[in-house]
Amino acid sequence: MNASGTEAYRHRTWEVWKNPIFLRYCRSRLRPKGLGLALLITVLIAGFMVGMARSGGVRSGLSLSDAARLALPALLGFQCVLLFILGTAQAAGGMTAERDEGVIDYQRLIPMSPLSKVLGFLFGLPVREYAMFLATLPFAGWTLWLGEISWHVWLPIYVTILTSAVCYHLTGLVTGTVVKNRRWAFLLSIGIVFCLYTVIPQMAKFGLVYFKYLTVWPVLEEFGPKLMPRTAGAALETLQNLAPTAKFFGLGFPESVFTVFSQGGLILTFFVMLCRKWRRTESHLLGKTWATGFYIWIQIQLLGNSLPLMDEGAVFPSQAFDRMIRLKAGWHPDPGEAVAMSGIYGVMSLMLIFIFAILITPSADSQIRGWRRAKKQGVDSLPFFSDAATSFWAVLIMALAGATGWFLFTQGLVESRWFPGHVMSLKILLFYALVMVAAGVGFQALLESKGGRVVGLVTIFAGIVPVMAGAVIAPIDDSLAPLAVWLFGISPASLPMFASASLLSLSELPMEVARAVPRAFQFWLFVTTMACVWRISRLWVSRREKAKSVLSADVVAER
Amino acid sequence: MKVSEPTPTHVPRPAIDIRDLRVDYGNFVAVDDLSLKVPPGEVFGLVGPNGAGKTSTFRVLTTLMEPTYGEVILDGVDVLEDIESARRIIGYMPDLAPVPADLKVGEFLEYYASAYGLGSLAQRRDRVAECLEEVAITDLREKWCKELSRGQTQRVVLAKTLLHRPRVLILDEPASGLDPLARRDLRNALRRLAKTGATVFISSHILSELAEMCTSLCVMNRGRLLASGTVEEVRQQLGNTERTITASFLHRQEEAASWLATRLGIHDLRLDGSQVVFGFKGTDDEQADLMEGLVHEGFRLRAFEERRSSFEDILVEIAESNRHS
Repeated sequence: MNASGTEAYRHRTWEVWKNPIFLRYCRSRLRPKGLGLALLITVLIAGFMVGMARSGGVRSGLSLSDAARLALPALLGFQCVLLFILGTAQAAGGMTAERDEGVIDYQRLIPMSPLSKVLGFLFGLPVREYAMFLATLPFAGWTLWLGEISWHVWLPIYVTILTSAVCYHLTGLVTGTVVKNRRWAFLLSIGIVFCLYTVIPQMAKFGLVYFKYLTVWPVLEEFGPKLMPRTAGAALETLQNLAPTAKFFGLGFPESVFTVFSQGGLILTFFVMLCRKWRRTESHLLGKTWATGFYIWIQIQLLGNSLPLMDEGAVFPSQAFDRMIRLKAGWHPDPGEAVAMSGIYGVMSLMLIFIFAILITPSADSQIRGWRRAKKQGVDSLPFFSDAATSFWAVLIMALAGATGWFLFTQGLVESRWFPGHVMSLKILLFYALVMVAAGVGFQALLESKGGRVVGLVTIFAGIVPVMAGAVIAPIDDSLAPLAVWLFGISPASLPMFASASLLSLSELPMEVARAVPRAFQFWLFVTTMACVWRISRLWVSRREKAKSVLSADVVAER
Repeated sequence: MKVSEPTPTHVPRPAIDIRDLRVDYGNFVAVDDLSLKVPPGEVFGLVGPNGAGKTSTFRVLTTLMEPTYGEVILDGVDVLEDIESARRIIGYMPDLAPVPADLKVGEFLEYYASAYGLGSLAQRRDRVAECLEEVAITDLREKWCKELSRGQTQRVVLAKTLLHRPRVLILDEPASGLDPLARRDLRNALRRLAKTGATVFISSHILSELAEMCTSLCVMNRGRLLASGTVEEVRQQLGNTERTITASFLHRQEEAASWLATRLGIHDLRLDGSQVVFGFKGTDDEQADLMEGLVHEGFRLRAFEERRSSFEDILVEIAESNRHS
């Protein structure tokens, strides 16, 4: 009994099968009528796939075992569609529906820990999709048994499919929790899932191998050949040997273990976001410490995955886009590839800083609330890690970590065995740090002092429009290339590309832009740095003014 | 669980203790340093025009919103420090209370009974039946929530709110959408709850209902507490001493009217047959002196009737002054 006399029953977080929220969705989403139809369709599709593959395989002269294997890729694809697409849409849409209907306040008031609630929704909302997935398992099991596929092969695949599904569903839940409009939440969750797990993993082809491990692909690539008819599998296995494998700082991991490891960080971060939101709706998605730590963790992952692959050449785009090229005698990466990879690494690191800055920077309202609270408590400063405190220091640390990661990545490329005689000087690290701090901290200072609307306008007119204008002008005529370069340079997002192109000894710029790029880089870096210094000074002034207006004024009279 | 410091035994610990509560939305102050104590077992009403800060206060009390600053102690539990414990003792029914479309009434209630950890399945079912009976909707158990009328929905949500026997019930406009019979049931249910020691904090725009239901109430305007106490105390605190008096005379009413016109606090005087109708602003003592004076002057007073401004009038006045300012 607690102080109020009510029974203090506490749900055990990990007993998901007893979780009331999970059971509530089991009840509503597994009603015989709706579930029966869903299972019927699932079974029909899975049965059709297995039947067609088997009859077609036997007809074309394959052994029974090989014919059974023919069905597996399609069956796996179908299972992924059920869990990844339908499940994620359900997680995002269901969460938004809760808020749309207004019943989310009831859920908030349930005396369960935030983690229990997140787990309840995570497994409850897509429970029908899990049931449909289970309905395909007898077909998969039968096919695996007939195809004589060892558990060493199918177990890692299914483990990765399930962790990927959790990752995708959490993405949907976060979107559904944050986005207020139901339709937008659905579209945005599909968009984010598509970007996060389809578009961004393509960055692996430019050396950012970590992003590939957020998907199920590395595991399918590793074990795919063993799932296929033996002859096709053997051919694929040759190709597979040419694919880079996970070597986190030289440690050899099986792809499946490394995929789960890589997804683990993202899953943990999603849990932190959701728990924060369930505890307090007003909270930022991430705290400053977690955001900074996670950013550094991503940098470590990016470096840990790519550095060991540099000397064998597997990180270079020319290999990533054509694995057979490696077999060609005298293959050698182009220096331009390395310069582009370095630039892309810098751009990606900068974009991540922008995203984290948006997540942790306090709005004017929350700053004022923080100051009022401080005044009430009789203190004249905000708690350093509170949501209302400035995100300046966190973003500054991220910018310095990003610059260091970018430098180490570039150093790995430049000083690899492919480009003998080239070295990276520490002067480049200073320039990289200046680029990251000027663009990243400048963005943060603008956001914190002027708010999201101004940042949106600046992003459009200083970040996107110049790039678009440059892209339009550049192809018109070679003589206009320098002008295009100067236009591109206006956008702070292009600074990392320009930095790599200007500073690396590997860089071999075309004649028409060879002079424009370094000059534009230096000029726009100077302008961005000055703008950043000015914004930081304005930020301090605006924070001081806010603090003064609250701390010195009679807050009661502020109505 | 964090429990507030023990209070002396002879003073009962307030069931609701709000200290210096402030809620801001940007530059708008929704609740402005509100302090309030409600003793246990009270049915306490919160009255105020739109934008008074009622819902913001309720949302802070129910842990759904973090205030700018302030303290809220419910039945000894600090709401801002110990959210989970606070949630165990709170029963909250929001304005226009929603229900999920994909559950039946019984399933909806059983889900919350389970979420609040109310014993075994059989015990939970019994409790659901008790609550359905309490709000007189036992026949709706198998009905889909989406098929309920507004009034039925209100009752279902009230049943949900009562499930875990909350020590503090916070009800935002609970009577809206209820027919007179259901309102009577609600009134009786709240009284029964208060008798068991639970405290009910209730807001409503149907002020006559609120006056009937509540043992005491408070008036909020623009985030501030204007008055609190019994209905009569609140009326006095709001300085409403204005009343309309009708004096009926057997004869000499014109002379009586002339005499009255010379007295302090009298205005808008008019003659209506044998009756003199006038506005009077003053204390009860001054009104008694007035009657005594009439008798002393030899006027044959047949009846003396007063009509005070209703509570609604007072709130309309407040709302209108808000609009003008």
